[in-house]
Amino acid sequence: MIRISMVDDHRLFLSGVRAELEGSVDVVSASSDIDEAIDAIREQRPDVVLVDVHMPGGGGLAVIQNVSETNPDVKFLALSVSDAAEDVIAMIRAGARGYVTKSIAPEELVEAIKRVHAGDAVFSPRLAGFVLDAFADVVPAEVDPEMDQLTPREREVLRQIARGYSYKQVARRLSISVKTVETHVSNVLRKLQLSNRHELARWASNRRIV
Amino acid sequence: MNTTASSFRLSDYGIVRSVDDRVVAGLAAGIGRRLGIETVFIRAAFAVLTFVWGLGIVLYLAGWAATIDRVSDTAVETSQPLSGSQRLGTVMVFIASLLLLRSINIWPGDSVMFPAVFVIFGLAFLFDRRAIDSRSALLSIVETPEKPGRGRTVAGVLLLIVGLGIFGGNAAPQFGSIFIAVAATGAGLTVLFGPWIWSLAQDLGTERTERIRQEERAEVAAHLHDSVLQTLALIQRSEDPKKMVTLARAQERELRRWLFDSSPTPGSDRLSTAIQSLADRIEEEFDIPVEVIGVGDTPYDEITTPIVAAAGEALMNAAKHSGAGKITVYHEVSDDTIEVFVTDQGMGFDPEAVDGDRHGVSDSIVARMRRHGGSATIVSEPGEGTEVALSIRRNGT
Repeated sequence: MIRISMVDDHRLFLSGVRAELEGSVDVVSASSDIDEAIDAIREQRPDVVLVDVHMPGGGGLAVIQNVSETNPDVKFLALSVSDAAEDVIAMIRAGARGYVTKSIAPEELVEAIKRVHAGDAVFSPRLAGFVLDAFADVVPAEVDPEMDQLTPREREVLRQIARGYSYKQVARRLSISVKTVETHVSNVLRKLQLSNRHELARWASNRRIV
Repeated sequence: MNTTASSFRLSDYGIVRSVDDRVVAGLAAGIGRRLGIETVFIRAAFAVLTFVWGLGIVLYLAGWAATIDRVSDTAVETSQPLSGSQRLGTVMVFIASLLLLRSINIWPGDSVMFPAVFVIFGLAFLFDRRAIDSRSALLSIVETPEKPGRGRTVAGVLLLIVGLGIFGGNAAPQFGSIFIAVAATGAGLTVLFGPWIWSLAQDLGTERTERIRQEERAEVAAHLHDSVLQTLALIQRSEDPKKMVTLARAQERELRRWLFDSSPTPGSDRLSTAIQSLADRIEEEFDIPVEVIGVGDTPYDEITTPIVAAAGEALMNAAKHSGAGKITVYHEVSDDTIEVFVTDQGMGFDPEAVDGDRHGVSDSIVARMRRHGGSATIVSEPGEGTEVALSIRRNGT
């Protein structure tokens, strides 16, 4: 069974999600404090960490950054009430392999954890929308097209995800294998983490004004 | 206090106008930081020179013209405070400059200048509250580490007394003793109560900030009371889980909008806001979550009105008939087209079947889009959900 750790400063939410997940995954630690969480994760070495974005003392970013230094193979799935673009983009760029909102159904959450554990990326429709928006306009000539542009196929996959389809449905609709969908999405995640395009963080914080 | 430096091109010498500590243009603070002297003494020097037929003002304006604003106060390093002997040297240079002016007859007269020098520097010592621990050579005679401010106060009062004394002595024949009494009393009161009044004014400023903060907090509290607390009360009274979810979602949406959205209000004229308010309405009316994802945006005008209306019909259709737990609306604006997809994972239907209400609605969506030069495709299969794809060209053809 996949071993997971949970970090969330809302104890009520923590215990609620924990109860929902018991039986599907092995919850090895659940912390409501950042320092405590970092220690617990280093000690327990879980496969996947479910991490909240907004917490006192540096938030989910601090947890990801600290743990990644010592345990680079721990994978993160961000879980938050916020679907503000800057939060989503910041967590992904720090190294989270996916981002889901707290309103996600329990079985979908388990599915997302499995996917992250397998090394794939988890894109919610909202995140897919942000990425399409961020990579929307024509690139200036000097940027690296490999890293700063989506291929037409990646774009099509993201558009399907943004429309609410699961990876399996996307595969069927585009007549490709689920594995291929996963590869496309993982490539997009890598681009999102490495691209300098418009300095994505700035894009994220500006888009509210536009 | 070498103000003659201000006739050079000052920015080359690291003197820039201070942005955060300015009375007129921040020049005095800039010079002070460069030379390592407390700003108040530079200001005093300018004030003294102003008595020399306005020379201080002329120098200040020249210095102003020869400097630039500091972009950020971290950009230029601040010089170390001067040592005692350097300080004494600077004082000597300033006195020498004054004596030079006096010898070449640019001088309004001893009876004006001597009191001015003493009074202005006396006040400078008294009001220099910020640099109390950097002690000059002169002051270390009377100052002890335990009472660092005492030397300054003593020096200030002494200079003031000397200055007023000289002024009084010179002015007595012209102005009479009443003027001296008033001036002396005024000076005495300023010395005694000036710092106290100053600190009182500071406190008033703090109090005002605190009051503004409290008003803001009250406004937040009032808003939360009217919205979130009311909804929480409603949820506690509700028996129906579905109703609870709807209430919670509606409240969440409202709170999010209040917290994060400053510009887009419902009914404002963007495509994204038009679709969002459509989705909100369906969500409230049919108790079904509607997620709206948008890429790009465009004004809500005569070109976009039909596609929004068609999307509304598709949404209504999905909410009424699909039985899905959730509807997704995805809209994308590219250079030449606007596309809206309304997707549900519900029971679906057979579009070829000619029966019933749904086909009629489908027809009306398709017909509406075609009438406005767009297109609508409805993909559905029993058990596989429904997708309505709407598309229209942005130039309206």
